[in-house]
Amino acid sequence: MAVLEKEFMLSLAENTVKTAQQKGAAEAEAFVYEGKATNIGIERGQITKNDRILDRGIGIRVQIRKAIGFAYTNIIENQTAIETTVIKALEAARASKPDNDWKGLPEKKPYPQIEKTFDVKILELHSDELVNVATAMLDAAIEADKRVLPIEGGCGAGYVSNAIANSHGIAGFDQATMIECSLATLAKDGSNVTPVCFEFNAERNFNVNPVWVGKEAARLAVSALKTKQMETKKYELIFTQFALQELLYYTLVNAVEADNVQRNQSPFKEKLSTQVGSEKLTIYDDGLLPGGLRTGIFDGEGFPHQKTLLMEKGVLHSFLYDNYTAKKAGVESTGNASRAGYLSTPNVEATNFHILPGSKSADQMLSEVDDGLLVSYLQGAHSSNPVSGEFSVVATPAWRIKKGKIEYATRGVMLAGNIFELLKNINEVGSNERKMGQLVAPWLRVANVKVIGK
Amino acid sequence: MKDLLTRVTSTAAEKFGAEYAEVRAQKLFKTSFTMKEGRVEAAKQGIENGVALRTLVKGAWGSASVGSFDTAILMDAISDACVMARQAGLRLKNPIRLAATKAIEDHVQVKPKRNPSEVSIEEKIKNASSTNNVALKSDKRVKSCTIDYFDLTGTSYFANNEGTYIEQDKLYVWSRLTASALQNGVFTFSREEIGSTLGYEIFDKDPPEILGERLAKRAVSQLNAKSPKGGTFPAVLGPNVVGVFVHEAFGHLAEADLALSGGVLADNMGKKIASDLVTFYDDGTINGAFGSFKYDDEGVPAKKTLLIKDGVVTGLMHNRETAQKFNSEPTGNARAEDFRVEPIIRMRNTYMAPRERSLEELIEGVDFGYYFKNFRGGQANLDGTFQVGIQEAYEIVKGEVGDPVRDASISGNTLETLLKVDAVGKDFELSAGRCGKGQTAFIGDGGPNIRVREVIVGGSA
Repeated sequence: MAVLEKEFMLSLAENTVKTAQQKGAAEAEAFVYEGKATNIGIERGQITKNDRILDRGIGIRVQIRKAIGFAYTNIIENQTAIETTVIKALEAARASKPDNDWKGLPEKKPYPQIEKTFDVKILELHSDELVNVATAMLDAAIEADKRVLPIEGGCGAGYVSNAIANSHGIAGFDQATMIECSLATLAKDGSNVTPVCFEFNAERNFNVNPVWVGKEAARLAVSALKTKQMETKKYELIFTQFALQELLYYTLVNAVEADNVQRNQSPFKEKLSTQVGSEKLTIYDDGLLPGGLRTGIFDGEGFPHQKTLLMEKGVLHSFLYDNYTAKKAGVESTGNASRAGYLSTPNVEATNFHILPGSKSADQMLSEVDDGLLVSYLQGAHSSNPVSGEFSVVATPAWRIKKGKIEYATRGVMLAGNIFELLKNINEVGSNERKMGQLVAPWLRVANVKVIGK
Repeated sequence: MKDLLTRVTSTAAEKFGAEYAEVRAQKLFKTSFTMKEGRVEAAKQGIENGVALRTLVKGAWGSASVGSFDTAILMDAISDACVMARQAGLRLKNPIRLAATKAIEDHVQVKPKRNPSEVSIEEKIKNASSTNNVALKSDKRVKSCTIDYFDLTGTSYFANNEGTYIEQDKLYVWSRLTASALQNGVFTFSREEIGSTLGYEIFDKDPPEILGERLAKRAVSQLNAKSPKGGTFPAVLGPNVVGVFVHEAFGHLAEADLALSGGVLADNMGKKIASDLVTFYDDGTINGAFGSFKYDDEGVPAKKTLLIKDGVVTGLMHNRETAQKFNSEPTGNARAEDFRVEPIIRMRNTYMAPRERSLEELIEGVDFGYYFKNFRGGQANLDGTFQVGIQEAYEIVKGEVGDPVRDASISGNTLETLLKVDAVGKDFELSAGRCGKGQTAFIGDGGPNIRVREVIVGGSA
């Protein structure tokens, strides 16, 4: 499929900024987006669907007397539609309220080089080739064990490009690809049905491993068949990346975003340069990480991405800023404005939230646990208290570790505690880093977490 | 529009050999903003026009979506969709078939008292601003207030090659409000969500003074709350906790696609799985409710579907594909968030039917337990393990409501818990919400107060 040319997208963005200025905007920004994706869908053990989507649009942000207006349209081939959208943005700004903290859109800065974010092979992939990838994954799961039912999943290949321009001279273009395989499985042995297990692999280059995904998704489900109950008390826990992604997103990631800090919605407000986590914990937000799923040249406002030290050996080092929160605090943006395509205005969001790995392998991490639980799949992390960090979630299935070995699975146990306390109690960080959406992290091990058994 | 869309679907059937073809088009206009402590981040207006095409060829689905009404682009897309369906179906063992439905021609119009598209952005901002002021000024300890506002108006179009053509006006008004309070290093958090398909008049029912006050009060009341004990306790659940329980813990299991995927309900049709007091509906026909509509995104009329009657499983929620598999009737539960995605089985307004008891009677029966009044979120697994996070809770001590409790959540196995419902109240409430199942859907959920002999309470104390 043909994609929009860089020159076309950039000039559309730049011309729209000019149009907005001519029509009365004190400042203007245009974000042009193109997204294409092909997906193969699996349902109940077979490939049943194949879809493609083409989505293009432009989002226009304007400022008049310190009030911000935004409008978007997905009709970009027609100048009248774009002018109407400019007028809608201006109308919205005039209807809105001035914001005295508004200190302007970002200025132009040099852009960094990034690696492994675009692979022309993914762009040119045909849907029949993607069917082959999905088939390899499905077959691997089905052949692994008769008791496995792959209930849902698929493969997707996507291309995204965006061009941004603003009235301070910013003009940027970036394009990216991603390919993903995912499979949700359960295992059934007579009347014994496991909870749903899940595995996936997402990459920016065409080097996904569908067979690994299929085998792992099958292995996890089968390993959840044998279960026992466990008693309510405190245990040593190992959190895999699946669990960390859930738990940290609503709490720790939230706490380092400047927007929340400035609005008293972060427990880290007065904690810069103090110990907030275990000495084992060093974290970067790295928008430049080679091959990272959130890596890009610039952020949602055209500000260059960068690598920001957030926590060093447990000491809080910095917060994450977009242009607005940075100017409000009198510091430089860290390039953390994120936006959902052309549909939204930017907001502060981590890029690749990178917890640096330690030296112990997964096996070593497990072997040192006498009486504990390996936790992957959580339910209810989104109902954690985002400000205080208190959580109360279900882990199902989870795997019981005894004398350094995984013995059996447990179902429906609850974990309760405070994520910020938990961060201080991390006693080991694994070497088994993997990327999962925004999170790039190894396993983390924590002592003394309350588990409520059945 | 009718000519264009029906031409596309008949081309798929006649030229490309599709068993079935449908086209969904939308012309929507959205207004939204986020206000934080009275500051409007950006007032937004957007146009989203697009078309989704879906075909069934040799038992497999092919879909394409485009942001255009151009005839050539649509013809190209339908041809692609048919090719892609063939590729998907190469190794299909169980071809997909659809339950028959009657061909329908209709034009559904909305009749709001106040159409949100005719209310100025200034007024919408002013209204949110008043709510913000009430919340922040009602108590010094309230430190933040975020208000999201959203409305959507426009028309959706549906055509298939079986003679159905429907134009349906769309109208949604929605707002979510959150506040946080701080005292001596303790942070608390409260949220409210309102939504309607009637019109902007929803704000007459929930004016700023009431909404802001309720939001602030709840955040402040938890400042002195204690952590719950972890363990198994009797509990009284408020209407919106029951709503989330019905939706998350039971409703998803009663979605026929999930039931087929190993969910615990498929083998329980016609069986008694719950206490006699339990009756659940999923109802798309409640006038003005956030989950209501006349036709779903497969052109099937939305019905009032009885899921459990007096403890016995009586029905599932279907699209045309699952209705065929279960040899049942489509219930009008196929919904797509927009033209970018395919319709999947989604809930509408899901609730538990009320009975006779008062809240006091329910609480009187508990020696020590918890009254879970207001939820924060919920989630469930296909095996029936559920979790519901709670934002407002109290201890029950010797039949009386006692001290407030914060950051609790409840869990259990859905079917086991349904058997433990031992009293059902009479005070019914339906709330607006949104449900995520890959796509977002606007839904309603609710019920009366109920009492459960035991649930697992997740607490660190």
